[in-house]
Amino acid sequence: MLFVIWLVPLLGAILCWAFGPQLKRAAGVLGSAAIAVSFIATVASWGAATQNGGTHQFLFSWLRGFDFGLLFDPLALIWVLIITGVGFLIHLYSVGYMWNDNAVARFFAYLNFFVFAMLTLVLSDNFAGLLVGWGLVGLASYFLIGFWFFKPSAVAAARKAFVINVVGDVGIMFAIFMMFSRIGTVTYAGVFANPHALDPWLFWICVFLFIGAAAKSAQLPLHTWLPDAMEGPTPVSALIHAATMVTAGVYLVARCAPLWSASHDAQTLVGTVGALTALAGAVLGIAQWDIKRILAYSTMSQIGYMIMGVGVAAYTAGVAHFFTHAFFKACLFLGSGIIIHALSDEQDIRLMGGMRKRLPVAFWAMGFAVFAISGCPPFAGFFSKDQVIYGALEHGYVWMWAVGLITAGITSYYMFRLFIVTFFGTYRGELKPEAVGIAEESSSAAQAAGSSVIAHEHSEPHGHENGHAPGWIMAVPVAILGLFSLVAGWIMAGQNSPWARFFASSFPREALPPATVTEGVTSGIAIAMFLIGLGVAYMRYGTREALANAPARLKRESETLPAVLVNLYYFNEILDWLFVRPAQALGQFFGRWMDPHFVDGVVREIVMTNRFLGTLMRSFQTGLLRAYALIVVFGAMCFAVYYALEGAMR
Amino acid sequence: MIANPYTQADWNAVIPLFIVGGAALIVLLADLVSPKYANRYVSMAIGILGLIGGGVYAGTTYGVSHNAFGGGFILGGFAVVLQEVIVISAIFSIALFGAIGRGDRIAGSVALMLWSTAGAMLMAGAANLMTIFLGLELLSLGLYCLCGLADRPTSRESALKYLILSSTASGFLLFGMALLFGATGSVTLAALTTPAVAVNPLYWLGGGLFLVGLAFKLSLVPFHVWSPDVYEGAPLPVTAFMSVVTKAGTLAVFARFAYAAIPAHASNALLIPFFIIAGISMIAGNLGMLAQTDMKRLLAYSGIAQIGYIVASLAGGTDQGVRYAIYYLVAYMFMNLGAFAIVALLSTDKEEGSSIASFHGLAQRRPVLAAVMTFFLLALAGFPPTAGFLGKILILSTNVSAGFPWLAALLIAGTAISLYAYFKVIRLMYDRHAKPQALPSVQAPLAYVSMAVCVILVVVMTFYPYTPSNVLPLVK
Repeated sequence: MLFVIWLVPLLGAILCWAFGPQLKRAAGVLGSAAIAVSFIATVASWGAATQNGGTHQFLFSWLRGFDFGLLFDPLALIWVLIITGVGFLIHLYSVGYMWNDNAVARFFAYLNFFVFAMLTLVLSDNFAGLLVGWGLVGLASYFLIGFWFFKPSAVAAARKAFVINVVGDVGIMFAIFMMFSRIGTVTYAGVFANPHALDPWLFWICVFLFIGAAAKSAQLPLHTWLPDAMEGPTPVSALIHAATMVTAGVYLVARCAPLWSASHDAQTLVGTVGALTALAGAVLGIAQWDIKRILAYSTMSQIGYMIMGVGVAAYTAGVAHFFTHAFFKACLFLGSGIIIHALSDEQDIRLMGGMRKRLPVAFWAMGFAVFAISGCPPFAGFFSKDQVIYGALEHGYVWMWAVGLITAGITSYYMFRLFIVTFFGTYRGELKPEAVGIAEESSSAAQAAGSSVIAHEHSEPHGHENGHAPGWIMAVPVAILGLFSLVAGWIMAGQNSPWARFFASSFPREALPPATVTEGVTSGIAIAMFLIGLGVAYMRYGTREALANAPARLKRESETLPAVLVNLYYFNEILDWLFVRPAQALGQFFGRWMDPHFVDGVVREIVMTNRFLGTLMRSFQTGLLRAYALIVVFGAMCFAVYYALEGAMR
Repeated sequence: MIANPYTQADWNAVIPLFIVGGAALIVLLADLVSPKYANRYVSMAIGILGLIGGGVYAGTTYGVSHNAFGGGFILGGFAVVLQEVIVISAIFSIALFGAIGRGDRIAGSVALMLWSTAGAMLMAGAANLMTIFLGLELLSLGLYCLCGLADRPTSRESALKYLILSSTASGFLLFGMALLFGATGSVTLAALTTPAVAVNPLYWLGGGLFLVGLAFKLSLVPFHVWSPDVYEGAPLPVTAFMSVVTKAGTLAVFARFAYAAIPAHASNALLIPFFIIAGISMIAGNLGMLAQTDMKRLLAYSGIAQIGYIVASLAGGTDQGVRYAIYYLVAYMFMNLGAFAIVALLSTDKEEGSSIASFHGLAQRRPVLAAVMTFFLLALAGFPPTAGFLGKILILSTNVSAGFPWLAALLIAGTAISLYAYFKVIRLMYDRHAKPQALPSVQAPLAYVSMAVCVILVVVMTFYPYTPSNVLPLVK
């Protein structure tokens, strides 16, 4: 059964790839069916994961210490459920979204391949297998971000994502080397049996693992690839850059809970990075106009919450937030995809408005999801976010608790900003871009690197000549995800919730002193933050007066947004100064001076030497028998002299 | 009383040899009666069946461990593994007859190849100087004829060169054996292990000349001079055969000599020149590849370096060393024979496809062949994640832990050079500006099959790096 879950998506990918030209649109059905089979198999093998600590399937033994196998336990089960379940809905949606794309078979081949890679990552029972999956999802992400490879911006974004992810891969590789040289095994069972056997390298192993996690999960300061990754088709953003792949870092930390529980410093580091990322992502989200970039920053922020949760050892809470986030964020992306689709690839929310009447499904589903992400009870996000924030307090990190609450307020504000500007008021698409403050030539570098400007020039290639897919194909997945955005959190309510019982034996537990503030108070503050954010957003965008003067107001806001926010805290510039400029200078140095004078010289030397040696060898290789015999006899004489001397000295 | 030699002898031990040698006779007889249009396939079929039979029978003795013929032939793990390597590469080599020189009668070639195989199989288990020499000469005699069988001047040149140079080397070998016999008064390898012999100068000189003979067969620098010319001139299947079978048989002898026939305290001093020339071969062989325009010559130089790696693995005489040497030898066998199979598939009736020109722009004409060739070349170069990479890593690790870091350094340097040489071929295959050439239309299902099997086995070896664990006790 485990093999069905794991390999059917691969089979789907191969079939879509091999028979793409014949399949055409049927590739979508095939690809979706493969994921559906995998999902059904997952549900059917529920018991195998939950009973007796899960199922372990040995695959094969490589070098000593490298035993490959599959591990299917509660933690893996949750991830596999999301990957295949939400993955299936997104596949189904993609059938409609990619209806008029010429390369639809290639798309589904990549998408299925991604699911296979992600399953490899979460089902592996050892770090080496995890690294294989880790690399493969990076590759799949590279293919899918750059799916429209005729868009230069997409190719650049794909490359950027790939490079930053490789930084993470190298981090994990270092961690594996250190583990292996310390204890000679890289299986989870072997490493987690006694984390302190890794001392004194335990902290550094955690750091290197976390470099991998941070790169994959877009944590500070390795987050810059995620907004750019929105160049990919919207279903890709939903599946890879919201629901599954970017949460691999959360998975890694949760999986390595025994290591983190053994190293308090590592916990603090990860929790700190998570909290700062949550805050930074939320603040960045305020200043964006591109609907997908807003969602990208909110993804970064929400993953910050998850990382903070698993970082401070509130593992159940962190994983809970992953679970609910997968639904509401996928819903938001797919809903925005419907809008983008309907508006012929317009992504700037200033040119939207009034979508409530036009796209009721998107309105209702995204509405549920917005309430969920903002933390409004009884929507899903409320329960999980509450647990993360309270978990930080419980484990003694008061400042993270505060940051979490503040971020919740900001989240509520920018999500309702998105929601109101997009869905209420009147449609602004017919206005001139300048009328709503879209500068002719975008002043900020980030905006230029981003999609909106370029997306105008290279319209996404699913033209509308061939008509549309049946509407339900895109509507149904969004509706289902919207529904789950409401209900997914209910299993997490309360102290002894089904969720807590599900993970009862998965994570190390610590006895905790009672927190200074009760969970009820935390929830109260969180709800207050939600209401404040909602209120501010309503005051700014939602009042009758604001909606009536929306273009002018948006124009004013565009002009007055703090440059620091629009420019993403100048993060790209800082990275530019820190890495790119020195690298370029180094390149200049090597190119202008070092290379011609030194390296070229050496290379010339080597080439000359090689040529000389080659000539030398060829001068022996005359083809003349007597010359060969001479060489052989000469060699034999050298041997004879050595051995005669050696023997004589005995 | 002298015991009856026929009851003393353990005939079971050599049944695989008899099967293979007997198959050769049947090939010759069958050729007389089979019709002209079928005799190629009859010969190949009988030859391959005989080898399979011999291989299977040898396989059943894997767990056995005993001396046959009064200690002259040792059976069991190590010998059996090497015999299997020899048999498998002989099968792949015979399969290549299907792709070249259509219309010729090949029964003679197949029979000679089978007898040579029997010689190499004898070497794999040989444990005294007599059986070693017998096996070596049986192997070589067949090869002298085989090298000259192609209908072109270079082939006859190749045969003559091989005959004369190999005889010279055999002279050194035999002289060395005589001195060793003089030092110990016994022909068994076991007699060489007594510490007392290590003070005898005859022992040293004898050992040195013995090693010269082996180094020639392994074509280690500077005793490699014959191999590029001979490989180039010999018919393609014979080249493929020589590139693995001769090496495997000689490696078995060297391993047994190095592991089981040297007093412990003399081991390092006696073997160090051999490892030095192995190290030189890694560099020189890869350098030699750079300037080649013929694929067989290129693979000859590549083989010089690859054998250098395998010999280096035995440095230090560790358990791991011999296991990793076997692993790399098997990997080398598949990578190398796979590459030869592709050369065979590019051959026409008139001409072997070994000139580098037939690889120029191959990716346009035969994309699958180009891709597979790329795979083999990358594996030979030791690119991750292939068996070649894994084997090199294993040899590196054993070199370092056995106290031969300089061999590891030479291996890395040699690999770096070889990357350049292999990539030159790959680049040539993917050259888009190549002139379109006429397609050789080869109907050689066996060559395709052996190519596919080689690909699969190289991949399998990457993920299941199985090394036989009970080899070492049986070397001794």
